[in-house]
Amino acid sequence: MKDSLVLLARVPAHPDSRCWFLAWNPAGTLLASCGGDRRVRIWGTEGESWICKSVLSEGHQRTVRKVAWSPCGNYLASASFDATTCIWKKNQDDFECVTTLEGHENEVKSVAWAPSGNLLATCSRDKSVWVWEVDEEDEYECVSVLNSHTQDVKHVVWHPSQELLASASYDDTVKLYREEEDDWVCYATLEGHESTVWSLAFDPSGQRLASCSDDRTVRIWRQYLPDNEQGVACSGSDPSWKCICTLSGFHSRTIYDVAWCQLTGALATACGDDAIRVFEEDPSSDPQQPTFSLTAHLPQAHSQDVNCVAWNPKEQGLLASCSDDGEVAFWKYQRPEGI
Amino acid sequence: MASPFSGALQLTDLDDFIGPSQDCVKPMKVDKSTGSGMAKIHIEEDGSYFQVRQDGGTQKLEKAKISLGDCLACSGCVTSAETVLITQQSHEELRKILDANKTAAPSQQRLVVVSVSPQSRASLAARFQLTPTDTAKKLTAFFKKIGVHYVFDTAFSRNFSLLESQREFVQRFRGQASSTQTLPVLTSACPGWICYAEKTHGSFLVPHLSTARSPQQVMGSLVKDFFAQQQHLTPDRIYHVTVMPCYDKKLEASRPDFFSQEHQTRDVDCVVTTGEVFKLLEEEGVSLSELEPAPLDSLCNGASAQEPTSHRGGGSGGYLEHVFRHAARELFGIHVDEVTYRPLRNKDFQEVTLEKEGRILLHFAAAYGFRNIQNLVQKLKRGRCPYHYVEVMACPAGCLNGGGQLKGPSTTSKELLQHVQMLYDTVTVQVPEDAPGVQELYEHWLQGEGSERAGRLLHTSYRAVEMASSGLSIRW
Repeated sequence: MKDSLVLLARVPAHPDSRCWFLAWNPAGTLLASCGGDRRVRIWGTEGESWICKSVLSEGHQRTVRKVAWSPCGNYLASASFDATTCIWKKNQDDFECVTTLEGHENEVKSVAWAPSGNLLATCSRDKSVWVWEVDEEDEYECVSVLNSHTQDVKHVVWHPSQELLASASYDDTVKLYREEEDDWVCYATLEGHESTVWSLAFDPSGQRLASCSDDRTVRIWRQYLPDNEQGVACSGSDPSWKCICTLSGFHSRTIYDVAWCQLTGALATACGDDAIRVFEEDPSSDPQQPTFSLTAHLPQAHSQDVNCVAWNPKEQGLLASCSDDGEVAFWKYQRPEGI
Repeated sequence: MASPFSGALQLTDLDDFIGPSQDCVKPMKVDKSTGSGMAKIHIEEDGSYFQVRQDGGTQKLEKAKISLGDCLACSGCVTSAETVLITQQSHEELRKILDANKTAAPSQQRLVVVSVSPQSRASLAARFQLTPTDTAKKLTAFFKKIGVHYVFDTAFSRNFSLLESQREFVQRFRGQASSTQTLPVLTSACPGWICYAEKTHGSFLVPHLSTARSPQQVMGSLVKDFFAQQQHLTPDRIYHVTVMPCYDKKLEASRPDFFSQEHQTRDVDCVVTTGEVFKLLEEEGVSLSELEPAPLDSLCNGASAQEPTSHRGGGSGGYLEHVFRHAARELFGIHVDEVTYRPLRNKDFQEVTLEKEGRILLHFAAAYGFRNIQNLVQKLKRGRCPYHYVEVMACPAGCLNGGGQLKGPSTTSKELLQHVQMLYDTVTVQVPEDAPGVQELYEHWLQGEGSERAGRLLHTSYRAVEMASSGLSIRW
């Protein structure tokens, strides 16, 4: 199982600091990293090595916690503890900060673009989730301020094809939002985790959602539409979400990130025990009650907590990870034989 | 417990994280005593602190107290726990005063006055399935039954608020050439909005705020100044309660600007929400609909009517509508009959324009709810605000939807709001200029419009609140 995950390269991305998050651009050619040194770095390949192509400094006064590429690949959003979110426009190797989204009361913890590219979501320690709309002139307006969570909101992620938003919080829940008339509403709350939910990832079809938590489990949730075949009860016209699988006993510390490969369906986790793990769904398992097997476990993938794992969207098996040790690592994952 | 305050107030004030560098700004008056600076502190079993002096003598130390007013001045530490305390400033307080009155000597008794807002009345009307007139009369009967002396309607004080707002806008619009007059004028009747404006973008926004007092605070002036004189009482002998659709109004009443140093009394002593009145009714075992209606009180002879009156322009006071029509007439000689509202990105953001021969003469807007306040403030900061006047309210759908209004037992909140709005709109509308009693009060009580007294009693001021160095200074 150790050979299923092989190290390709390691770079000191944010020296003397933590590297908090990574994001591949939609084309899979660039990797953005951000960290406690208040900078965003853009990495690309030059031959066999990964080199830093751009450094985005002067954008934030505090740690940059997350970065996210727009679906078109021309914009990068960075969420910071300085309570702002910067939108950077890419011009070849240069990035220019075109606007700064203000309004959150304190640390912004996450930012995510909707698949349409017209909407952006941010969330913060101020317990709120904001939805923003961008118009043709690159002007951003706040469309909704959602106060559904009762604690710090750690992560937001959009459904891969629909305008559906999910958020994870220190209040141990996951909430789902959609647009209703001229406002956004929370239409579902997923309860089950026993501690902070740190991250979320939709599967390629968007029918399932993976959540990872401080309770050391990964939970898989499935959406059931009204009048579904399985007889799962729904209220009104809203879909219902049920926890269909819990991966427990695999992680010895908090799981900080989960990534669902859009090409192969493999699930990677970033853990506070410095390890990276990969799970794959057993092909013969019941879709309503799937089982996942551990196909890779690399202890000491980093010398400290692993904060993020990110699958390359175009190249199968290429996985990037980053850690409190400030490093970014690139891995080749190969599904082991006989599983 | 979910916070009952408006969204705008919540996001500004409620932060459970108290950074080590944050100081409570409560100015503690410390009486400096002579002698060496050393003192020992001894804590008794009951938790009280005693200072042990060098000579062995002890002195009980006073507990530091933080009042609502102090919290308003500070930007940092109002935690969720404190908000629970704030929401206790309620009908229990009123009860205490009424009970005290029963046993007090005549010279110690206080005259209890309750001023009811039309929005609270509409909410109660919906709940008890009564007309606003009947609700007003039965509420009067109820309050008098429990020991209240007078019950007034804040729609009366609203006349002054609207008239002052009209006059102020025309002045500011005309004075645009001189740099001291800043447009747009932003309404200030909503305390949720004011708290947000003062604390997050204070120095920038404060110059734009209208200085006209809200109907609640005009009523404060009316009751504690005019009415007190009429009753031959000093203001501190009157206990003034207002019934409001939200909790934010409790903070407004606690502002130091509305505390009279001379008489050591507040213009409004206690604010109870519609919900708290409902609780009072329940505690008394009274069903509002079964009460015999009582005649309505009025502040002055000129204002006596047996039916309540209201204003056009929606359930949040009608500021945009009144200022727009007045400005159109005063500045451009145009008479506007119906004001046409054009909704923008959502139904809580609407605009109104006055056009002539293709030119826009007046461009007004109404922005309700936190998301629209955000967008408005961002536009203002970037110099991209096209409006001359904006009616700003912290609650989506405005005051009729305030956090203190009654929730329906069976209907959906949308249907209930529509019902409350419908009832609110059935009350006969009146133009402030023609409201009985208003002109007389301007003449006799205030000594003329624009007078020094009018400025002092009908206006207020705001100030930017500096954020104490926040937790953001910690190097994460």
